[in-house]
Amino acid sequence: MSATPAVSVNHLTKVFKGHLGKGAFRAVHDVSFTVEAGEVYGLIGPNGSGKSTTMKAILGLLNPTEGHTSIFGIPSTEVASRRSVGFLPENPYFYKHLTGRETLHFYGKLCGMSGAPLKSRAQEMLALTGLEDAATRRVGGYSKGMLQRLGLAQALIHEPQLLVLDEPTAGVDPSGSRIIRDLIIEFRTRGITVLVTSHLLEQMQEVCDRVGIMAHGRMVREGRLDELIAVENQTELVLENASPDLLAKIDALVKAEGSGTRLLRSGHPRTTLERLFIEATNEPKKP
Amino acid sequence: MSQALPSSAAASVAPVRFSPRRVWTLAYATMTQLMRMKILPFLLLFCALVAAMGFGFSTINPEQQLSQFKTMSLGVLQVFSIVFGIVATALLLPKDLEDRTLYTILSKPVPRFDYLLGKLIGVLMLIASGLIIIDAVLSLILWLQQSMLFASAVSQLHSENQDSPEAVAQMREILARQGLTWNLHWAVWAIFLKATVVTTVALLLSCIASSTLFTIVITFCITIIGHGHAMIREFLLQPNLGSTSIRIVSFLLAAICPDLAQFDVVDSVANGEIVPWSAVYEMTGIAALYITVYLFVTHLVFVEKEL
Repeated sequence: MSATPAVSVNHLTKVFKGHLGKGAFRAVHDVSFTVEAGEVYGLIGPNGSGKSTTMKAILGLLNPTEGHTSIFGIPSTEVASRRSVGFLPENPYFYKHLTGRETLHFYGKLCGMSGAPLKSRAQEMLALTGLEDAATRRVGGYSKGMLQRLGLAQALIHEPQLLVLDEPTAGVDPSGSRIIRDLIIEFRTRGITVLVTSHLLEQMQEVCDRVGIMAHGRMVREGRLDELIAVENQTELVLENASPDLLAKIDALVKAEGSGTRLLRSGHPRTTLERLFIEATNEPKKP
Repeated sequence: MSQALPSSAAASVAPVRFSPRRVWTLAYATMTQLMRMKILPFLLLFCALVAAMGFGFSTINPEQQLSQFKTMSLGVLQVFSIVFGIVATALLLPKDLEDRTLYTILSKPVPRFDYLLGKLIGVLMLIASGLIIIDAVLSLILWLQQSMLFASAVSQLHSENQDSPEAVAQMREILARQGLTWNLHWAVWAIFLKATVVTTVALLLSCIASSTLFTIVITFCITIIGHGHAMIREFLLQPNLGSTSIRIVSFLLAAICPDLAQFDVVDSVANGEIVPWSAVYEMTGIAALYITVYLFVTHLVFVEKEL
C-alpha cells in the first residue's frame, strides 16, 4: 500500500454565500479524514449532512472555504488530480443521442485516449458492467440500472486508481443494486480505491473497510467498520462444545476462571451499521 | 483491467494542458446534441421560406426585386442565426448541469476552459453549417432569379424594339450588380460574425446566471443595445447631456455591450454596394477581439463557478 493516501481531506469547511437576503449556509464544518489506497471507504449521513459537498470538494468541483483536499497527494484544485479519479454522480444522465459504446468513447477521448486502446478499453468496460448487449443502443432507452452501470463504465474508462461513487444504487432495483455491490467488491480486489456514499447501510456494511458518518456538516464518527460497530461496554464469549448444563453454569465458570471449557474468542458483540448510523445522526447538534 | 498503481499517481503532477483534440470532442458532441433538437426541420423551413420570397415579390422593376429579396432573406437569416445562437447557448450549460453531465465531464482531467471552448465551437459549428447551406440556397435562387429577370427584361426590350446592344448590356450590368456576387457571401459572413459575438455574450451570461430565461432575455437586451452602440457613444461624447447617473449607466452599457452595428452590411449588399476587403478584415478583427475578451471573462467566471 502506498504511503500517500488516495484521498486526504484536511479541516474542510464550505460556506455557501447567501443570495437575495438569505444568510450564508455552512454545509461542511471542519471535516477531516483520509482514504488509504486500496480500501473501500463509505461516507454516510442523512440528506443535507454535507456528503455531496465534501465529494464535490474532493473532485475540485467546489472550492473549499477553509481547509484543503487532495487526491494521491495532488491538490483537488489542480486538474491533474483528476487523472486518477473516476466519478459516478447520483442518478447520472448521458447524452441521449449517443449509444453506450459512443458514450464510453466520448469520455475516453476527454481523458486523452484514442484509437485501438480506447476501443478495446470501452469493450472491456462494457463487458465488466454487463452492457455488451446494449452497447449499440441509444442511452435514451437505457433503464436506471443500466445508466448506473454505464456511469460506472465511464468512471473506469481511463483506468483510475480512485473511484468516487455518489449513491451508486439510488433508484436501482435489488438485482441491479446487487450487481453494483459486487462490482465494488471486484474493484477492491483489483486494488482500486473506492469512496462511496449510500443510504443502503446494509450494503455499505458488506463492502466498506472504513466509514465516516456525517451529520449537520460534521464528521460524527470515523474509523474501521468492525471497530465502529463494536459495543464497548459489553463482552461476548464464544464457546465450543458447550452443553446446556455448561451454559447454565457460565456465570460460575467465568467467575471461577478455570474449567475444561475452552474460550475460543472474546470480544465485543456487534451492532449493525444501521443502528450506529441512527444513533450517531440523532445526537444533538453541536453549536 | 490492469492493476491499479496508487503510488504512480503521486508522481504524475504534470499539469493538464489545453488540448485541441479534447475541445473538438466536446464541440462535436455539442453539435450532435443540438442537431437532435430538431434543428434540421427549421432549417428546411427557412430554405422554403427563402425560396418562396425569391419568387413571391411582385415585379416593380428587376433591380428592386433582387434588392428586396436580398434584404428580406438576409434579414431573416440574421434573426435566425442570433436567436439560434442565444437560445442554444442558454440551454446547453444548465442542461449539462441538470443532467449532471457537467460533473462527469469536469471530474475527468478536462480544464474548464476546454469545456467552455468546446461548447462555444459546437454551437458556432452548427450556425456555420446552417449558414453555409442557406448561403448556397440563396445563391442558387438569386442566380436563377437573375437569369429569369434578365431573359424577361430582354424579351420586353425586344417587344418594345429597344433591344439595342447598349440597352441589353446596361440591363445586364444592373442585374449583375444586384444579383449573385461575392457581396452576398460577405453579408452571410458578417451575419455569422455577429451571431458569434452574440453567442459568446450568451455563454458569458449563462455562466453567471442559473436561469435559462434570464440568460435569453438579457442577451436579447444586450443585442438590441449593441445595435445602438453608436448612439450611446455619441451621447457620452456630449459632455452636457444627461445626469451623472444616466451617464454612468450609459458608460457601463457601452463598456459591456458589443457594437453590433459594425457587422451591419446587409443594407449595403441589398443596395448593390460593394463590400471592400478592408471592411471584411475590419469586421473579422473586431469580432475576434470581442470573442477573445468575452471568452476570457467567461473563463474567469466559470473557473470560480461552484458546481
